[in-house]
Amino acid sequence: MARILVIAEQRNGKLSEATLELCKAAKEIASGLGATPAAAVFYKDDSIAKEVANYIPEVFAVVDAKLASYDADLFVQAVKAVVEAQDVKGVLIPHSYDGVDYAGKAALAIGAGIVSNCNKAAVEGGTVVFTRNTYNGKIQEQRSVKTDKFVATFEKGAYDKEAAGGAGSVTAVSVSLTDSRRKIKEVIATMAGSVDISQAKIIVSGGRGTKEKDKYNDVIVNLAKKLGGEYGASRPVVDAGWTDAARQVGQSGKTVVPVLYVAAGISGAIQHVAGMKGSQCIVAINKDPEAPIFNIATYGIVGDLFEVIPAMMEALG
Amino acid sequence: MKIVVLVKEVPDMESKFKIVGDAKIDESQIAFKMNDFDEYAVEAALQLKEKFGGEVVIVSSGPDRVTKEVRQAFAMGADWGIHVSDPQIDEGDNFVVAGALVKAIESLGGVDLVMTGVQAEDDQAALTGVFVADMLNFSHCTNVVKIEVGADQKSLTINRELEGGLNEVLEMATPAVLTIQSGINQPRYPTLPGIMKAKKKRLDLKKAADLGVGAIGEAGSKTKFHKIFFPVSEHKAEIIQGDAKAAAKTLVDKLRNEAKVI
Repeated sequence: MARILVIAEQRNGKLSEATLELCKAAKEIASGLGATPAAAVFYKDDSIAKEVANYIPEVFAVVDAKLASYDADLFVQAVKAVVEAQDVKGVLIPHSYDGVDYAGKAALAIGAGIVSNCNKAAVEGGTVVFTRNTYNGKIQEQRSVKTDKFVATFEKGAYDKEAAGGAGSVTAVSVSLTDSRRKIKEVIATMAGSVDISQAKIIVSGGRGTKEKDKYNDVIVNLAKKLGGEYGASRPVVDAGWTDAARQVGQSGKTVVPVLYVAAGISGAIQHVAGMKGSQCIVAINKDPEAPIFNIATYGIVGDLFEVIPAMMEALG
Repeated sequence: MKIVVLVKEVPDMESKFKIVGDAKIDESQIAFKMNDFDEYAVEAALQLKEKFGGEVVIVSSGPDRVTKEVRQAFAMGADWGIHVSDPQIDEGDNFVVAGALVKAIESLGGVDLVMTGVQAEDDQAALTGVFVADMLNFSHCTNVVKIEVGADQKSLTINRELEGGLNEVLEMATPAVLTIQSGINQPRYPTLPGIMKAKKKRLDLKKAADLGVGAIGEAGSKTKFHKIFFPVSEHKAEIIQGDAKAAAKTLVDKLRNEAKVI
C-alpha cells in the first residue's frame, strides 16, 4: 500500500515537536487516500527511529555517522533513496529552518510537485488539497500537485501532536551518501544578553507599527514599566536595531507564556505568534482591523497605538 | 565577484486586500514594493561588491511595473539587470518562475553568488531560491544572517539562522545560492544621484522564448491553484469599542476586574 512518509527532524538528538504533529497529519491524509502512514529518520544511530516508532506504524531508518546533524545534500539523497525503495505517495516535512532548507530540493529529486507552508490538508476525490497562508497570513490559498507524488511542508502547530503508544516497526534502508558540499563548523547562540524575558509575568511587545526607536521606547518601554513587566518586540523591531535581540519574541527568538501579553503594532505573523500564543491573556492594539493578531487575542482595540497606549497609562493612574 | 540578486515585487502587506471571484486579489487597490527580504539581499550583495569589486546584476520576473523595483535596486548601487517579462511565466508556479530565472542567470555565465530573500512576503513559499540552487547545481544555504568571503573570493563562511536564537556556522564554496533572512544588514536608501544614475542603467527585457525557458504557464507548473479566500477564525478577540481614551479605560478595567491579570 502506498505510504505517506514523514521526514523526522531532530536537533542535538532531540526529536522535534513538529515531527509528532506531522505523524498526526500523515495518519489523517493516509486514511483519506487509503494509504498508510510511515516515517523516515536520518541520524547517526537508530535511537530516534526507535522513538518515532512509538508514534507511527512503520519507520525507515537511514543510519550513517554523516547524519549526526542535519545536512541539505545528504537529506535529499536519503529522501530519494527511501522513496525509490518503498512505495511512497506523499512526503511531509516540517516548515522549519531545516525543512525549508531541503524540501524544495527533495521534491525536485523525486520528481514531485511541492506545496509549502501548509496549515491544513483535505482529501477531495482522491486529491490532497492543501491550505496555506499567503500575504502575511491575510489570505489563505488552496493548492494541489499535478504530479503522482507530492511533497508538502507544514507550519508548526498545524496539527496536534500524535500521542505515543504505538509499537511500529523499524526497517533499515542502506544509502551510500556522498560528501556534502557544506561543512558545519559550529552552532552558536546569538541572543546572549542580560535580560531573560521568558520568565516575565507581564510583557508589552511592540512591532513594526511603533515606527521608530524613540517612539518604541516612549510607548512600549514605558507601558511595560508602568505595568511592572518586561518589554519585548517582534522581529522587524530587532532587525531595525531599536532593541536587543534578547527581547525578540517568536520562532527565531524567545517563547514566552506570561499572564498578560500586550501586542502593539504587531500584525500577528505566524512566526511571532509561535512565541507567545500560550500567554494567558493577550491584548492586541492595531490600526488594521484585519490584522491576524486579533484572531488569537483576548481583547482587541482597533486604533492608533500612539493614542491608545498613552490613554492606557492615564487609566492605570 | 559576479553576484546576481533575484528581486520580486510584492504588494504592501498593509494594503486593503479585496478578492475578485475566488482566484485573484484586486490589484487596483494595491501599492506594490520590493519584497523586504530581497532588499536585504540587494544590500548584502552591494557590501560584497564594495569589498571585492565585480558587479551586481538584478534579475526580476513579472509584469512591466516591476521595473520600478529593479530601478530601486539600481539606485541603491546595482549595476544592471534583466527583466524577465512574460505573462506565461507569471502564470506559472514557483517551479516555472525558478526555471526562467535560472535561464537568465545561465545567460550571464561565470556567476559566483546568487542571492535572494528567504521568502516572498506574498506567496510565503520559501521555494524559489532552493529550486534555483538545485537547477543550477550550485550549493546553497537558506536563512542566511551572516556572510564572510575568504580572500580567495571562493570560500564562504555562512551563518544559517536556526530556531531559538541559534546560528549554524557553515563553510562552503562558490558558486552558491544564498537566501537572505531579514536583519542581516540595514539596507541603504537610494541617494538622489543614485536615483538619477539608475534611470540610465542597462535593463534587458527577456521573454520566455528569448531565454529558451521550457516549462511555462499552468501547463509547465507542478502544482495546481484552486482558490484563495480570507481566513475564517474560530476565535475572535473581544473588540473594545469607543475612541482611544474610552477604549483604553474599558480595557484597563477589564484587565483588572474581568481577566484579573493586573
